Amino acid sequence: MKPGLTLVHLYPDNMNLYGDLGNIVALMMRCQWRNINLEVKKVKIGDPANLKNADIIFLGGGQDRGQKNIAQDLLIRRDKIREEIEKGLVALTICGGFQLFGQYFQTSEGDQIPGIGIFDCHTIADQKRLIGNVVVDIEKSVNEWHAEIDFPKYKGPEKTLVGFENHSGKTFLGRGCKPLGYLKIGLGNQGDGGYEGGVYKNAFGTYLHGSLLPKNPWFADFLITLAYYRRYKKEISLAKLNDTIETSAHQATINRAETAKTLSI
Amino acid sequence: MLRFLAIQTANFARTASRLSQKGSGTTLPGLLAEKIDPNILSNLAQKLPDGIILITGTNGKTTTAKMLASILEASGKKVIYNSSGSNLSRGISSFLIQQSNFFGSKIKGDIAIFEIDEATMPEITKKVIPKIIVVTNLFRDQLDRYGELDKTAAIIGSALEASPESTLLLNGDDPLVSSLQKYNHKVRFFGINDQIKTNSTGAIDSKYCLQCGAELIYDNRYFGHLGVYKCPSCGFKRPKLDYQLSELKLQVESSKALFLDSNRNKALLEIQLPGLYNLYNALTTSAIASELGIDIKIIQDSLQKVSAAFGRMEKIEINSKTISLLLVKNPTGFTQVIEMLCYDKKPKNLFLLLNDKFADGTDVSWIWDAELELIKDQTASVVVGGIRAEDMVLRLKYAGFSLDNISIEKNTPKALDLALANIRDGETLYVLPTYTAMLELRKILYSSGFVKGLVE
Repeated sequence: MKPGLTLVHLYPDNMNLYGDLGNIVALMMRCQWRNINLEVKKVKIGDPANLKNADIIFLGGGQDRGQKNIAQDLLIRRDKIREEIEKGLVALTICGGFQLFGQYFQTSEGDQIPGIGIFDCHTIADQKRLIGNVVVDIEKSVNEWHAEIDFPKYKGPEKTLVGFENHSGKTFLGRGCKPLGYLKIGLGNQGDGGYEGGVYKNAFGTYLHGSLLPKNPWFADFLITLAYYRRYKKEISLAKLNDTIETSAHQATINRAETAKTLSI
Repeated sequence: MLRFLAIQTANFARTASRLSQKGSGTTLPGLLAEKIDPNILSNLAQKLPDGIILITGTNGKTTTAKMLASILEASGKKVIYNSSGSNLSRGISSFLIQQSNFFGSKIKGDIAIFEIDEATMPEITKKVIPKIIVVTNLFRDQLDRYGELDKTAAIIGSALEASPESTLLLNGDDPLVSSLQKYNHKVRFFGINDQIKTNSTGAIDSKYCLQCGAELIYDNRYFGHLGVYKCPSCGFKRPKLDYQLSELKLQVESSKALFLDSNRNKALLEIQLPGLYNLYNALTTSAIASELGIDIKIIQDSLQKVSAAFGRMEKIEINSKTISLLLVKNPTGFTQVIEMLCYDKKPKNLFLLLNDKFADGTDVSWIWDAELELIKDQTASVVVGGIRAEDMVLRLKYAGFSLDNISIEKNTPKALDLALANIRDGETLYVLPTYTAMLELRKILYSSGFVKGLVE
């Protein structure tokens, strides 16, 4: 066994919509197949969490009810999370989780739910729901990812992320937050087919369900590499896995995205 | 006069639509009739002497409607129910028109059973006053269509508010459903009192108190978020049950349990259907039938004879092999089917079909919330097909299945041949398709003469 990593799964019970659990499964299995021990710690509302020991934090999407319940608890942890993110803690946040890592979420009634401001962005609820298969191009954006911090850069050959978006919030990025990528197919943060997600240092936000990481194994591996570098101060060269099935699911999603219409209702 | 005109137009439209072979004639007639006479549905509904039973909820509507129809028929009632139809308002109108006489003054039935999609409830209750409204359960299903579960509950709530005269029958074991009691005062609850526990540890759809947001404590959890729960903070809890099942005995092909009604009448129910979810269906049905005053003996006898509804553990003989069709459409339902298949430890031969058309839900993410892990060491062979077969194979890989046993074939007829070749004479192939994949599979089986009809 190689030295291990710790993943903190924030609010697994409240924020578990649309198969986001698959991301944890992907990280666990991809570590296990390489003899890296990945310990998953679930943190519920009110639970103590030792973020100093965390190497990756994950926050998925939730229903509105789930989101309101956790927003308050998350605010209490804001300073600790921020402090670690500044030092390169790896974070993956999806949909509702991405929104709560922004400055605020404005509900359809006009109330503002404050986020923890990791990402310089805010989200406004809209009547229209943005639903469909998504293909994101990261070729241009990848050079701007975690520009502020000295970490291994992504150099792999893969240039796309695929998944499924389903959100009614529109997320507007400020200057302090870079897009995860630009849409080839799909509607994205603002519903206009422009950019998708947000990146600050080693924190990533996205609207991609699907689940995301199983179908984008290079991205899962990249997150593991970043986490490993932060913990052990050296670059790890991850053993190559047979990703035939992953690649074919990735490609099948691209094919389906090209033929199935994106809904906007 | 309007009603007469509306009915004649509808009849004409149905014939025309069938003759032109453009449709099955299930919604257009009602759409036209509602345009001519907006009150057509309420007028026709009033002609039913024993009224209307509305069944809504995520899982179990079709089986419950089917079980209830057989009980009511056995008790001598003439039952009409929308088994093949569209369950939108215009589909219901079409259906009632079809069952009415030339003038629309009489309907050929005593009682109607309608299974209604959650989102259609408000539209229906605007037009009819049901005698009983039943909510089976609320699980995540095709979220890309309806939004989120809490919203679904609120939509049903608004329909209940509009029906103060209806009796409400609620699944007390489902906190989301039991919380609907606040919308209506004539409420009765059904549920299970047993020691049986789920093996599933996965995602629970509704774990938090709807009144105050605290985490619910479960004395016992049967499956998903169904169980005996209480809120430690505000006192919200599983309500006192008017109708209950206890002493459950579950097997792969059949189930037994003791039914107790509100007057402490007891009956041992035996059903030839597997799984806890079918016992819930039997319980729901028995509760409705008891509410309607049907004798407990008739309930007991009729339930014993009920066979599986369309694609719900439906058995089809193919020469000397058997296939068992188990529709899967949401994570909880999928996990339930998996748990049921694990009741016996023999290695299973599986055929999984994953589509992502509108009726399946266009987002396939939900398969990551189904606990495929539970059966990973109990499969002899797996064939995977459907539009999103690659996604399903990926799910199986990460669930820890041995890849040597898995084949992928996206051409459904070929995939079926492959899956059947995996089993010997006398063995059963368990087929788990999503909705449109099941329809496609039935078409294939129909054209080969293995099933008689395309719809029930």
